[in-house]
Amino acid sequence: MSEVNNVRSTGTLRLIDGKKFRGTLTADEQGAAFCQKGKQEPMVQWHYARLHRMDSIRRGGTSTQLTVILKDDSRYVFELDHGLKLYSFMDSHWADKPVTPKTRGDELRRLAELRGEKIQVPKKHLITRRHPNRSIAGDIGIYLMLFIVGFLMVFPLLFLVGSSLKPLDELFRFPPPVWPQHPTTDNFSDLFVTMGQSWVPFSRYLINTVLITAVGTFGHLVIASMAAFVLAKYDFPGGKLFFGVVTTCLMFSGYVTGIPNYLIMSRLGMIDTYWALILPAFAAPIGLFLMKQFMEGLPTALIEAATIDGAGRFRIFWSIVMPNVKPAWLTMIIFSVQSLWNTSAATVIYSEAKKTMVYALQQIQAGGIARTGQVAAANVIIVAVPILVFVFSQSRILETMASSGIKD
Amino acid sequence: MQKTQSFTSRYLDMQREKFRHGLLQAKKNKGCYLFLAPYAILFFTFFILPIATSIFYSFTYYNILEPARFIGLQNYVNLILQDEVFLTAIKNTFVIAVITGPVGYILSFLFAWFINELPKWLRAVAVVVFYAPSIAGAAFTVFSIIFRGDAYGWFNSILMEFGLIEAPRLWLTDPNYMMTILVIVILWMSMGTGFLSFVAGFQGIDKSMYEAGYVDGVRNRWQELYHITLPSMKPMLLFGAVMSITSAFNVSDVPRALCGYPSTDYAARTVVTHLFDYGFSRFEMGYASAIATILFVVMILCKKAISALLGRVGA
Repeated sequence: MSEVNNVRSTGTLRLIDGKKFRGTLTADEQGAAFCQKGKQEPMVQWHYARLHRMDSIRRGGTSTQLTVILKDDSRYVFELDHGLKLYSFMDSHWADKPVTPKTRGDELRRLAELRGEKIQVPKKHLITRRHPNRSIAGDIGIYLMLFIVGFLMVFPLLFLVGSSLKPLDELFRFPPPVWPQHPTTDNFSDLFVTMGQSWVPFSRYLINTVLITAVGTFGHLVIASMAAFVLAKYDFPGGKLFFGVVTTCLMFSGYVTGIPNYLIMSRLGMIDTYWALILPAFAAPIGLFLMKQFMEGLPTALIEAATIDGAGRFRIFWSIVMPNVKPAWLTMIIFSVQSLWNTSAATVIYSEAKKTMVYALQQIQAGGIARTGQVAAANVIIVAVPILVFVFSQSRILETMASSGIKD
Repeated sequence: MQKTQSFTSRYLDMQREKFRHGLLQAKKNKGCYLFLAPYAILFFTFFILPIATSIFYSFTYYNILEPARFIGLQNYVNLILQDEVFLTAIKNTFVIAVITGPVGYILSFLFAWFINELPKWLRAVAVVVFYAPSIAGAAFTVFSIIFRGDAYGWFNSILMEFGLIEAPRLWLTDPNYMMTILVIVILWMSMGTGFLSFVAGFQGIDKSMYEAGYVDGVRNRWQELYHITLPSMKPMLLFGAVMSITSAFNVSDVPRALCGYPSTDYAARTVVTHLFDYGFSRFEMGYASAIATILFVVMILCKKAISALLGRVGA
């Protein structure tokens, strides 16, 4: 059904050796040509093209990347500014969807013309709005609801920050204010005084947490990415089954396996060592799952071409696949950091000197009502790290999550 | 008779051929197994083996000190017939799962959908606002200040200001209120990974499908949701469901931190806190394993049911 169009787009041509050229790409049924900016003669021309599309959410909006692989195995990667729409069915020939009419009015008029009539289209059908089929009342309702619920979501966090800044007399005033009238950082300094009095210095807890988080995350990144790579890009017996099991195990994180895990770790002699926290983190199913789903979006042609060039599997993984899945990396790192940072590890670590920061802060929490302010301060410290990390990496995480679906 | 035989032998041939093909494929991709091995070994040790161990020990009496003694189904029988606290735990977990699971799931979806219509910068802010409670880890402990039992508790003081209650209520220690508060707190934290997946899924839908839908006569946002958006989001919906099941059945931190452990009259006990109690306080590992096994089975059944349900969406 789709009409074949000639398509044009400005963009950047990136050769595999890293050279970049700006110019215009023109394409039709037979092939494509790339003209460098300001030149008449095409720089390269093809008559045969295999295409792959990578649409992804980036900060600048949707960017479209196009890989062309020719019969002689030379490769070209385009980054297109705009204009050229590529679809997954464009493997064998260049085709774009038929031009869609702007409004329902245009469509009605076109249909009438096909029947040989002329009709007066009602004005409301000709209005072009960003969301033509949205009622304004509905929009207002949604904004209002988002605002109210959003406020309810933030309120406890604001209350937490407020409490951590309250001087003692405001913490126990009736009625308690949400936000302090005379903000003070006393609670934070008191927290460090309390911490300083414990026989294991606070810095020790902090170092433990940082060490566990760093090692756990790094190992997870490497090991899970390797597994994700072969699961996503090669078809071998057992691969699908394994991934299915991992997907099911997404549900069993942490608590439910706590008891048997404890038994196994004690057999392996890992109780009361960092390994009890680090090794399970290496195998976290969520990281493998997200990475595998994201890697599936990579053009297979990229890997095929590299295989033909004689690159080994590890080289393909390390120098072709990994640089291309940076958003997924970042997401993996963040999820791993989040879970390791928040781990209290009370069940597998007994020595005080090996305990984590969250555990230490929980001990302060257990100090009762008199420490309300310090508890709030401690919580602000724990909470701030993951939230800040998320704020700065949001767009990358969303890019990864776009491929997170489970295909059944 | 002849026909049946030939069918059987043909079938066997086919199977043999399939097996040979698989073997060939495995030989060709030997390196793949090498790549998979480190992860697979760790995954087996910390995820598969625990599940298997748990099923095994659930049929035994095991207290770590003495070797495990096989007792058949006794653990399960005790759980269901004698352990009244377990029944409370089941009831609580069920109430929490039934309320927070679907409601949290639907809310995540709805708000991801609403957020999707916002302008870009506002969308970024909104995602942080809705997602923050669930990444904030221990932030929910702030509710122990908000719902504190004395007059300095914010919620008590508000109600007293307005004259709705005469004296402060013990929100977190009175069995009458505990579950309500827990459900509120868990709902607050329910916009988790699934929510992010939905937000990303909405942004990934091809815009031209909406244009085409409009031209084809999709009149309002609800029609658009049902006919265009939902069918293209199925994989994300299943992922979100898995995440919801996880959080709905694994509730344990929140009741332990807010209502105490153990809570008054065990009113805030969940299956997982019950499991912890037997596993790490009483060291009755066999009994705890039986609890864990039941939980595994229920979760897997839930996932199966949901994926069957989602198969019908938009069809």
